[in-house]
Amino acid sequence: MIHSLYRAVAYGAMAAWRRRRLLTLPVITVATGAFLVVLVVALMPAVRRQGEALGSGDSVGRATLAIAVVVLLVGAFEVAIAATRSINQRSAEIGVLSTFGVPPRCTLGALLVEPVATAAAGAVIGAIVGGLFGLGAPAVGMIDDSVQAGDVVVGIILAVGVSVVAAIAASAVPTVRAVRRPPLASLSSS
Amino acid sequence: MDMTAPAPPVGLLGSPLPRVDPPMDGPIVAVDSVWKLFAMGEEVVHAVVDVSFTSDPGEFLCLMGPSGSGKSTVLHLLGGLDRPTKGDISIAGTSTAKLTESQFSSLRRSTIGFIFQSYNLIPFLSAVENVELPLTFEAVDRQSVRQRAVELLELVGLGHRLHHRPSRMSGGEQQRTAIARALIGSPRLILADEPTANLDHKSGTTIIELLHDLCGRLGVGVVASTHDPKVAERAHRVVRMADGRIVDGD
Repeated sequence: MIHSLYRAVAYGAMAAWRRRRLLTLPVITVATGAFLVVLVVALMPAVRRQGEALGSGDSVGRATLAIAVVVLLVGAFEVAIAATRSINQRSAEIGVLSTFGVPPRCTLGALLVEPVATAAAGAVIGAIVGGLFGLGAPAVGMIDDSVQAGDVVVGIILAVGVSVVAAIAASAVPTVRAVRRPPLASLSSS
Repeated sequence: MDMTAPAPPVGLLGSPLPRVDPPMDGPIVAVDSVWKLFAMGEEVVHAVVDVSFTSDPGEFLCLMGPSGSGKSTVLHLLGGLDRPTKGDISIAGTSTAKLTESQFSSLRRSTIGFIFQSYNLIPFLSAVENVELPLTFEAVDRQSVRQRAVELLELVGLGHRLHHRPSRMSGGEQQRTAIARALIGSPRLILADEPTANLDHKSGTTIIELLHDLCGRLGVGVVASTHDPKVAERAHRVVRMADGRIVDGD
């Protein structure tokens, strides 16, 4: 069982790599979300300090947090859309695998690699760019206070972690549903 | 009917992946009073009505009939892609009536190969990778699987197309790749749904000769649905269907 799951993940990774042109848009969207999350998290302490100086520290903090949450939700929504689109594109493949008796857990594992890889790739790219922007923000006068490297690291970990978890959560339902479909339904809808 | 005696299926093409099942004495397919009804709104459609027939190992059996005659439905029932409303189907001596989906899936993996009208090759895989696909998740030696896939593609005359993607292959080449894919698991039975429907005359003839040859050389039973008389001409036996019933040849 472990071996077959390993093979499923290897197959899924190969499929994701070969289908990478189709995954460009979701990668860019997730990268944008991760970029904003890192930026918000990295700049939040500095922005809050500036807000406190102006007498509105709490409201500024709540606003930046709200922005981060909205960005994450948009990213998760995009991953869900990308997963559904991918499932529809790969309907015949799911039907063929089922027809040839491939266990559903292997098909599920293979299909889930793509949204996770998409989210991870986008999140890493966006988080790194966001981190660089965050660290460079004081230098270009975006913010008066210094940005702590620790906050940037926290932002990067948060962005990548949340993106991957959101990708799994958002793509699990359409993927499980697709794998459970009778093979005939998958083949006829392709 | 002149039928070549089936060769023992063990050691297909000298492959290092021998079949573990012994050669069969009984029929590879036994269909016993099978019915399939579909509900369409308030109407009940009789897709398959009291169909019975058997097919032996190494036999090329053709289900022939016009569109809507029930031949594709019978193929789906044979492969467990759909279940009969009534009656029983035995595959390689195993009654399928009480099999769970998981058990039928295992039976398909070990015993049945499929060929589809529209080939259903995976677009991002090369020909040899498409052939390997049914064994991709199995705990078997990858080099042996690759060697066998190459041998099968050579068997169907595609030794020069190993690394071509489906988009760079003709319809006939794609269908031959699908045949090689159906054979990779050493099936005892191949189910072919309108295998020549999307092909020109020459490619269709090649496919039919190939299926006919496989029965004799490898002892594989082939059940093919078609409305093409040329396919029926090369079959060992023809079962004619109309309106869900067998009208000739059971």
